[in-house]
Amino acid sequence: MGEPEQLRWFTALRTILDRSHLWTPEDVPLSLNAAVAPLGLRVRVWLVDYEQVALRALVEPGGESPDPVPVDGSLPGRAFARIESMAGLGRDGVRRWWVPMLDGTDRLGMIEFLVSGKTDADQQEFVRHCEMLAGLVGHLVATISRRGDHIDRTRRTQPMSTASELLGRILPPLTSSTDRVALSAILQPCYEVGGDGFDYALDDTTAKLVILDAVGRGLRAGLACAVALAAIRTTRNAGGDLAEQASAADAALTGQFPDTRFATAVLAELDLDSGRLRFVNAGHPPPLLLRGGKLVRELKATGRMPLGITDPSGEVAEHILEPEDRLLLYTDGVTEARTADGDRFGLGRLVDLAEQHERAGLPAPETLRRLAHAVVDHQSGPPADDATLMLVQWSTPAALNTVARAGQATREDDTRS
Amino acid sequence: MTEQILTVSATTEGPVTVLSAAGEIDHDSRQSLEDAAEAALQDGSRSLVLDLGAVAFCDSGGLSLFVDLHKRTTTRGGRLHLASVQPAVTAVLLATNLDRLLPVHATVGEAVAAARPTG
Repeated sequence: MGEPEQLRWFTALRTILDRSHLWTPEDVPLSLNAAVAPLGLRVRVWLVDYEQVALRALVEPGGESPDPVPVDGSLPGRAFARIESMAGLGRDGVRRWWVPMLDGTDRLGMIEFLVSGKTDADQQEFVRHCEMLAGLVGHLVATISRRGDHIDRTRRTQPMSTASELLGRILPPLTSSTDRVALSAILQPCYEVGGDGFDYALDDTTAKLVILDAVGRGLRAGLACAVALAAIRTTRNAGGDLAEQASAADAALTGQFPDTRFATAVLAELDLDSGRLRFVNAGHPPPLLLRGGKLVRELKATGRMPLGITDPSGEVAEHILEPEDRLLLYTDGVTEARTADGDRFGLGRLVDLAEQHERAGLPAPETLRRLAHAVVDHQSGPPADDATLMLVQWSTPAALNTVARAGQATREDDTRS
Repeated sequence: MTEQILTVSATTEGPVTVLSAAGEIDHDSRQSLEDAAEAALQDGSRSLVLDLGAVAFCDSGGLSLFVDLHKRTTTRGGRLHLASVQPAVTAVLLATNLDRLLPVHATVGEAVAAARPTG
């Protein structure tokens, strides 16, 4: 690809970035298309809905909205699932590329590039450019979605409960990877949460995680969850250790709510140099350790009582992980999910599916999407409880698996040079 | 739901009330147990014995009620005692480490003996 081509892409990116400062969410589709038109391209932004079932087009006001595209059983869905750009041909005979739209590594949806005109001289270079543009737009969409409701509304298929609205704004991105670790989480039912939550903090040497299940339902439980997470986060930020974080949650819960509200939780720190995992289990299901695509053990520990019930014991357990190990944390809404006749989802099904998806090499967020849907599908009616999962992969290849493929190729080039 | 999934009966001996529960204790059903406990505390009971011999299931809604009753009895110098806990409920108590907070007794008789003020 010659310099004029690269210059045209540069101009498109610059135009998008320049205009984005004053974008409203409604401006995105038309403004993007104006920027890429000189490249002989049209684009459509597709956002994944909050339940991660279908991709939904972001349309301009008054624009015609195409049918949602299911994630399961469609080419765009496969590209979304695998976090991989894929080429397709529309019924209209127009060639197109489906390119993952990520905010960092958080899957927001896809960008459909419709290619009119000449064939690209260098296809790989073309896809790299598309991924670069989709990467920029992913960041911008994530930022701009806070400015108005249009992006958020596109991602919703039903109204959110007040508790879900509250939690949605305080939880970190569902997926975050660094050079050394891939971390992903999922929470269902996303429109009606009732007390589950999670948090994490990644730095160069440590992955700090929390998964939490506040007792009760609806906003009552959501408030307890929000208060506990905030107490843990601020204590962690101020340098407090695991026991101090747990004590801060105790104090916040007992101080704020005169009635009894407690939360089971796991608070953990994984040292990314040594693999040393330190964790406090506050009455929560034990984390699962997977190695080579198999469960090797449940990390059982004496632990302490749930957060909100002052427990000075606060025992910190330790376990040494091996490189490439996976840690799967979950709330009891996963294993306790029941069919109409009382059949529990259970640990066995969870482990079987997790092993299967691990061996298939799925990216962490896709493994969790499938696990969460299996839990929802297992129940005949609406879920009785929240089901939350968090997967931590101490693995550079797994981290690379959460970014778009052409981006990975670039990385390998970088390391070689 | 019109079907009663939890029934509760109460017997008071001095400062100890035995609440016998039968059925499942969850977020929806716990109210009847809560009401019975409330009535016993209003009537001056200091300690409560919860007979769980006929309770096959208890979720976090039930556990939070136990913790609540633990707090309310201890503030008045008494205690909440659990008796005849069935395996499924024992599993939940162990999984949440709440067995460290709530004394568990094999029989109602032992629980009542433990609950009775000494001296």
